Amino acid sequence: MVSTIQNTDVKQKDADRAVVVAVTSRAVFESAADDGGDVYGVGVAFPLLQALHKVNERLLEESSAESLLFDVILITTDDQQQQQSSRITSSTRHYGLEVSRFCFSSQEDFTESLLKNNVQLFLTIDRDEVLRASQNGVLSALLDQQLASCPSEQLRVMISGDAVIKPDTDPMPPGQKGAQSFSTQLGQMRQKFGIFNSPLSIVLVTLHGGRESCGDALRTLRSRGVSVDEAHCLAGAPRGPILSVLRPHFLLSDGVSYLQE
Amino acid sequence: MVKMSLDPVQVMSGQVKELKVAPSSNGESRGSWEAKEEFDQDHLGLTTKPKPPKPENAVTVAVSSRVLFRTEREQKVFEQKGVEEYLRYQIEHETEPFAPGPAFPFVKALEAVNTRLRELYPQSEELFDIVLVTYNHAHVGIRLINTINHHNLFIERFCMTGGSSPIGYLKAWHTNLYLSADADKVREALAEGIAAATMFMPEKLTEVSDTQLRVAFDGDAVLFSDESERIFKAHGLDKFFEHERDNEDTLLDHGPLKGFLEALGKLQKKFYAKGQRLDCPIRTYLVTARSAASSGIRALKTLRAWGLEIDEALFLAGAPKGPMLEKIRPHIYFDDQMFHVEGAAEMGTIAAHVPYGIAQKYTKQKTSAGK
Repeated sequence: MVSTIQNTDVKQKDADRAVVVAVTSRAVFESAADDGGDVYGVGVAFPLLQALHKVNERLLEESSAESLLFDVILITTDDQQQQQSSRITSSTRHYGLEVSRFCFSSQEDFTESLLKNNVQLFLTIDRDEVLRASQNGVLSALLDQQLASCPSEQLRVMISGDAVIKPDTDPMPPGQKGAQSFSTQLGQMRQKFGIFNSPLSIVLVTLHGGRESCGDALRTLRSRGVSVDEAHCLAGAPRGPILSVLRPHFLLSDGVSYLQE
Repeated sequence: MVKMSLDPVQVMSGQVKELKVAPSSNGESRGSWEAKEEFDQDHLGLTTKPKPPKPENAVTVAVSSRVLFRTEREQKVFEQKGVEEYLRYQIEHETEPFAPGPAFPFVKALEAVNTRLRELYPQSEELFDIVLVTYNHAHVGIRLINTINHHNLFIERFCMTGGSSPIGYLKAWHTNLYLSADADKVREALAEGIAAATMFMPEKLTEVSDTQLRVAFDGDAVLFSDESERIFKAHGLDKFFEHERDNEDTLLDHGPLKGFLEALGKLQKKFYAKGQRLDCPIRTYLVTARSAASSGIRALKTLRAWGLEIDEALFLAGAPKGPMLEKIRPHIYFDDQMFHVEGAAEMGTIAAHVPYGIAQKYTKQKTSAGK
C-alpha cells in the first residue's frame, strides 16, 4: 500500500520544473537510539538535506520566482518507522526540514512510490533498495555512512567519469538516461551561481580511466551544459583516501552507484 | 557564470574514445574476434599504455600546472581581469598547448627513468608517478589535457581542486615531493611533512640531459635540519666551525628533502642490482657551502649513518654555487636560501626554493618571491 502526505508547512514545488529527490527516512533519522520520544535523532542523510535546502535558498535569492529547485520527499519503507508515521512528520517539522511530501509504502512496492512521484534521484543507505530502484529505471545512489561523518555545507555531487563517456548506445539503459537528465539539471542550477562561493559543487571523478577518459567526460558534460568545478583523475589509484578529502554527498553513475566498493 | 555555447557535434567529433567494458555491461558484447581487433586499431597506443602504479608503491611527484607549464599570460589575465575572464580566456585558447615550464625537464627525466626501470623490472610498481595537482578549475582541464597530449607526457592522474586547498589531496596521493609556484602552499605542505619546493622560471634555460635524471641538493635546511645554520646566523662563522667540530660525531637532524633523496637512492639501487651502476639514469649531488676538511665531515658522516649514498658531494667552502651548478646541469636544485636560488637561476640552473628553517627570516631577495 502506498500513501502520500503533503507537508503543509512547506510550499509545494512546480511539478514540471523541480528536481525531485527522494530520501529514505531511515537515512535521514536515526532510529537506533530510540528513547520513544516525539522526535528522532539525526541520521546520515541529515546534512545532505540541509545542503539541498541551502541550494534552494540561494537559488531563490538569485531569482525569487525560480522554479528549478530541489523537491525533497521523504520515503519510508521501514515497517517499524511506518508505524510511527506521525513521529516522522513531527521530526521533520521539529528540524524545519524542507520536505514537501511524505511517502509511506512497504518494502515490496516502494519503487511504485518512486515512479508515481516522478522521482529523479533516490538516495538510501540500503544497497538492495538502490539495486531495486535502478532495475525499475530510477536513478539511485547509496549514501555512504563513513563519508557522512564529516559533512560539508556545500552540496557536493560526484559524477563518475568512467560512466559519462559511454557513447549514446541504442537502446540506452534506463539508469543512463536518468543520470544524464539529472546531471543536466544540476548543470543548469550550477550556472546560476558564480565560480566561487557556490552552494553546489560538481565534482568529476574518473576512477579507472586516465586522462583520455577524463577529457572525454569533461567534453561530454560540457556539451550537456554541465560545468564541472573539480576534476580528479585516479587512473586506478585506491579511491578511499581521495574520497575522504573530496567528501561528496553522493555519486552519480549510470544506474547502480556505490561510493565505496 | 561562463555560458557554454559549443556545438555538441563539433565537440564530439574526432574524439578518441577508450574502449570501456564496465562491470554493469549493457550487453553490447563484441563477440567476434574481428570486431575487437578493428576497434583496437582505432585506439592504437592505448592498449600499450602501461598501467600507473599504486601511489603508495611509487615515488609520487605532485606538480602544479604553473610549474609544469608556462602560464604567465593566463596569470596576468586572472590578476587583472578576474576569474571569469581568466576561465573564458583559457577555454578560448583550449587547443593552444602551454609551453614547458621549469618543472618540465624534471618530469621528462622522471619518465625516462621509468622507461629504464620498466625494462629491467616489468612487474614492479617502484616507479615515479606524476600527479598534476592544481587549484585550477576543471574548466582549464581540457586545455591541460591537450597540452599533456601535445608534449607526449605520461601523466594519467590529476587533481583539479577548483579553488580548495590541495594539501589534503597531497596526503591522499602519498606525495613524496610537491612542486608549485605558490610559496604559501609549499610552506603548508612542508608543515604537513611533505617535501616541497617553489619553482621559478630561469631567464635562460640551459640544456639538461634527457637520459640521466640529475637532482642536486643543498645540505643545511634541505637534507639536514637548520640547526647549524641557526648557529651561524646567531653567532657567526667561527662559532659555526667550532660547533661543527665539537659535534662531528653527532648526527645532524633530518631536513625536509631527506625522504626524497632516500626515495631516489632506493631506485638507484635497483639499477645497481642489475649491474648498471656506471650507467645509472639517476645521479644525485650535494652542493654545500660547507668545507670538505672541516664542517663537511659532519654532513658526510650523517649521510653515511642514514645509509644514503650521494653520487657527488661538492664542498664549496663558501664559494658561489652558480658556476658549479652550471657544470652539473641538474634538472632541479633544492636550496633553502632565495639568494642561492636566484643566483643559480641567473646562470640558467633550474632552482627550487625550500622555504624551511631559519634562513626564511633573513631573506635577501633580489626580486619578489613566489608567483
